[in-house]
Amino acid sequence: MKNADRGQIRIIEAFLAVLVIFSAFAVSANLPTPRATIKRERLASIGLHVLMKLDEDGSLSKHITNQNFTALRESLGLVLPAGVCFNLTVYDEQMRQINADVISNGGFSSQDVVFAEYVCASQNATFHCYVIRLFLAVTT
Amino acid sequence: MPAVSVDTFFACSLMVIAVLAAMAGASKLLYPYVNSANGQNSGQRYEEISRYLLLNIGKPTNWGQNSQEAPETFGLAKSDFGVPYELDVDKVTRLNAENMYSVNYAELYSSLKLSDVSFRLEIRPVFQVIINLTATFSFTNETTYQFEILTEKQGRAVRTKLTYYVFAENYMDIFSLDMPLGRANQNVTLSNSVHGHALLTVLARSSYDTRIVSFGVYAFSHNSAHQESTDTFVKLSPLNHVLNASFVNFEVNLSRVYALTFDHYSRLAQIAGNNESALYEIPHFLDPSPTILVLTGWNNSNFFTEWVAYPQVPLQIGADFANAASLSNVFSYAYEVTVNWAIYDCTVLLGGPRD
Repeated sequence: MKNADRGQIRIIEAFLAVLVIFSAFAVSANLPTPRATIKRERLASIGLHVLMKLDEDGSLSKHITNQNFTALRESLGLVLPAGVCFNLTVYDEQMRQINADVISNGGFSSQDVVFAEYVCASQNATFHCYVIRLFLAVTT
Repeated sequence: MPAVSVDTFFACSLMVIAVLAAMAGASKLLYPYVNSANGQNSGQRYEEISRYLLLNIGKPTNWGQNSQEAPETFGLAKSDFGVPYELDVDKVTRLNAENMYSVNYAELYSSLKLSDVSFRLEIRPVFQVIINLTATFSFTNETTYQFEILTEKQGRAVRTKLTYYVFAENYMDIFSLDMPLGRANQNVTLSNSVHGHALLTVLARSSYDTRIVSFGVYAFSHNSAHQESTDTFVKLSPLNHVLNASFVNFEVNLSRVYALTFDHYSRLAQIAGNNESALYEIPHFLDPSPTILVLTGWNNSNFFTEWVAYPQVPLQIGADFANAASLSNVFSYAYEVTVNWAIYDCTVLLGGPRD
């Protein structure tokens, strides 16, 4: 190669380097940002908070005592943040499952499932204790 | 200078710029990953702060009721709260910038006493009530307005029961309705002998939990071309169970003022007034519901209505984190809070300068 052409080759090298670097940018910009996700611990905390809020006036145990699991599902669906799916199971004092039907707002499409356990008591004359297990996942 | 030297200098400059741009870009893109451990600690800290905002009563404990006072220490909880996350109706109301007694973000920021933490608070009903005027039928003696009422959360229909109130000149009526599908068409018929503003106020309650309540208001013009927005004639500011009706237009004559909830309504009595404002006492309703305050009056010969919610929600206050170039990591925490026994969605966003 002539001496006069060496500079031109270096310009081509520089443009190639720029191309490589900016293509790396393009790829890395599409990486998922961890800030946008709900963390596992936070999701369990939200679940527990929601169950506690629904139990404040005794409506949680009232729905269970009355076997009104539709009301339980709809109330949970309303107060949980959008994009969170849940599956709830209710047990009695001997850990026998009370709900025959599934209490859920849809199937879990995520492998990352957390659960919150909450114990509530009925507020009527006959004392009953219920163990509630709420499984939660973020819809993907 | 030979041409090869110029070319080489140009190529080297290009490389240096590319390398510097790469370093800057890589540090920006990889920041969240490199600082993941640090971010985890920040997340825990911010979560505790978000809880503190909602569980602490602040100082003085009654800073919500005292319209002249800004909080020394920030906290939104009711001073004698019976359940966690029960907020004070007046502390919440003073966060709304449309209330004449509102506190601004600078006062709240200094009362939090954490110079490295910015925050934003959003409080809104759990679901939305959407009201659309779909048709108008004019007859000789009366006009019928057809409304579509929707109750939904994030596009999903919510099964509700409705109580709705209609106001027009010398007219007020109440109706109830079941909405199993979260959607209904309702007709409102008004006499053509009256004209001016008319107001449809809808309170909706979830069929499954009496504490989940929302509202919607639709103002429309009846036999009149004018359609002014709210706060045109009178600015309404509720606080400490007193409604302040401050005149924007001094040619108005106030007529009746109502307080509406899902189960009850009441006509308010004026307790004080002068040529600039009038004060009305708001009753303490015991049903879990926001209270909608509706004022009626005349501007010259034109009938008008104004309204405000108590607590004054939905509201947003605080730093603007929406800007993508914000030099802050933002952490968002969702809570269900109680105000006057009704449940609301509350989102606390927290951020600070990057470490």
